[in-house]
Amino acid sequence: MTTITVAIILFVLLLVLLAGGLWIAMAMSVVAWFGLQFFTTSPPEVNLFQSYWGSSASWTLAALPMFVWMGEILFRTRLSEEMFKGLSPWLGWLPGRLMHVNIFGCAIFAAVCGSSAATCATIGKVALPELSKRGYDERTSLGSLCGAGTLGLLIPPSIIMIVYAVAAEVSILKMFLAGVFPGVLLVSLFSGYIIVWALLNPGKTPTAVEPMSFGERVRRARNLIPCLVLIGFVMGVMFTGVATATEAAAFGVLGALAIAWWSGSLTRASFATSLMGATRLSCMILFILAGASMLSACMAFTGIPRALAEWVSAAQFSPYALIMVLAIIYLLLGMAIDGISMIVLTTSIVLPMIDAAGFDLIWFGIFIVLLVEIAQITPPVGFNLFVLQTMAKREANYVARAAIPFFIMMLLAILVVSAFPQIATWLPDAVLGATKK
Amino acid sequence: MRRTLDFLYVASGVLAAICLSSIAVVMLLQAGMREVGLLFRGADDIVAWLCAASAFLALGYTFRHGELVRVGLLIDRLPPAGRRRAEMIALGAAVLVVGYILWAAANFVYESWKFNEIAQGLIQIPIWIPQMSFVLGALIFFVAVLDEFVVLITGGTPAYRRAEALHRSGVDANEAP
Repeated sequence: MTTITVAIILFVLLLVLLAGGLWIAMAMSVVAWFGLQFFTTSPPEVNLFQSYWGSSASWTLAALPMFVWMGEILFRTRLSEEMFKGLSPWLGWLPGRLMHVNIFGCAIFAAVCGSSAATCATIGKVALPELSKRGYDERTSLGSLCGAGTLGLLIPPSIIMIVYAVAAEVSILKMFLAGVFPGVLLVSLFSGYIIVWALLNPGKTPTAVEPMSFGERVRRARNLIPCLVLIGFVMGVMFTGVATATEAAAFGVLGALAIAWWSGSLTRASFATSLMGATRLSCMILFILAGASMLSACMAFTGIPRALAEWVSAAQFSPYALIMVLAIIYLLLGMAIDGISMIVLTTSIVLPMIDAAGFDLIWFGIFIVLLVEIAQITPPVGFNLFVLQTMAKREANYVARAAIPFFIMMLLAILVVSAFPQIATWLPDAVLGATKK
Repeated sequence: MRRTLDFLYVASGVLAAICLSSIAVVMLLQAGMREVGLLFRGADDIVAWLCAASAFLALGYTFRHGELVRVGLLIDRLPPAGRRRAEMIALGAAVLVVGYILWAAANFVYESWKFNEIAQGLIQIPIWIPQMSFVLGALIFFVAVLDEFVVLITGGTPAYRRAEALHRSGVDANEAP
């Protein structure tokens, strides 16, 4: 049997299992078992144990539960109220006024939180009612929150980047650094859109500005201090090399607890809820990684990725055509499955291809993270849509339509980052030294 | 029986949470000791084992909370009778898969106990000791899946289905990735 036939059989099996509603990690394990049992001589049960244990008992991966926990703690603090108070006096002069709080609030929170839905929910729970109280356009407000919430994935720390870094065997730190400028790019695109929108629809932005002296504004800006200190601290220890990503994450947990304590929202109950929430979320992710790791082992034994990579390099596709095809596949995948599964399901096949086509794996990580961000806001399965749908008591489709302009901005960001890969690769190379290739 | 099982899931979840929080404690302790010039030998191994234990021990607990992800796109659109049948097939398959995982884990750890394999790294203990978290976690996971399967075929609604319905309506969507 040829490698291609085997690949098709395994692919169809995976589709059937996923569509049948089998849990994703289990579906991957079943496909891996099937491939190992029938197409290789390697014993599946040994592979299962080594993949599951090897992927979970990992010091590098321990950063993941830590960042998850940090986000869970901060979600339950008064950080978002403070952020709104601190930011709003400074953004009133831009066309679109407080609408920009959604963007900058999400961007700042994204720098302490690694998840898109949590970023969206944290900023949304304060900004959404405040903006509608002041008469801002609900549609654009929802859309901007939906789009900007996804910055949680792009601006470090980021859970999805840890998942990618582990799957692609690249440095977590490099991925984090690579996300900084694309994050700035996306923030500018979002804010730029709001400015243009506000200029084109002058009637839709309330004109009343709270009169406030400069001193009062500075006093209000002090609300931002705890969050900025935490960002500076976590990024600082990580990027100066004082601590590894895993250690920085543990310090982040400590800092988050300190902020919660300082703002009076640290109770025994909130501590327990955040810890149990973090345990479940990180268990879910680690289980998927375990299944994916077994599938990768199976892939390595069957030689499918190598065959595909050889085929791609023999076919002499232009690199841009390859990237384009992958972008379309990921956009479609993103409509149906969550971001983490999207990455781990595909890396063992796609990465050898990308490598063979001569792309930088760090750059590709940013590319894929941007596509996962889009997946968060495309129906029918998009976590940011679920979050905002409940908050605004609107239908998911209404929220999805509101997010369309921001969806277009994200596509634009992908184009820009593809045309100028240095936006992603310059910072990690400058700080940590260029990759060998 | 119901209460004993529910206690088992919550207890294993709490144990997993203790492991997770211990990661932070060990990392901070290591950093603190380094500052004063002391060496925390084997901290990296302990963190790795705690990370694994936090994931494996929480499997059953997370499963019942409906937080192990799957693609609901197709099966959620089936009419109630078909939906029920699809759920039985999926859950039945899950019983087999998790049973296999349990068997593979128990088998491997039994071998490393029999041959007295020692952990590679700074902490020289038999490797089956940290690896027991996998066996124990898989066992509780298996019990949880089997439990839900029995509930489903006897006409009830599994706990994870109720939780999933809550997630879909977005009640605690903040816990989604």
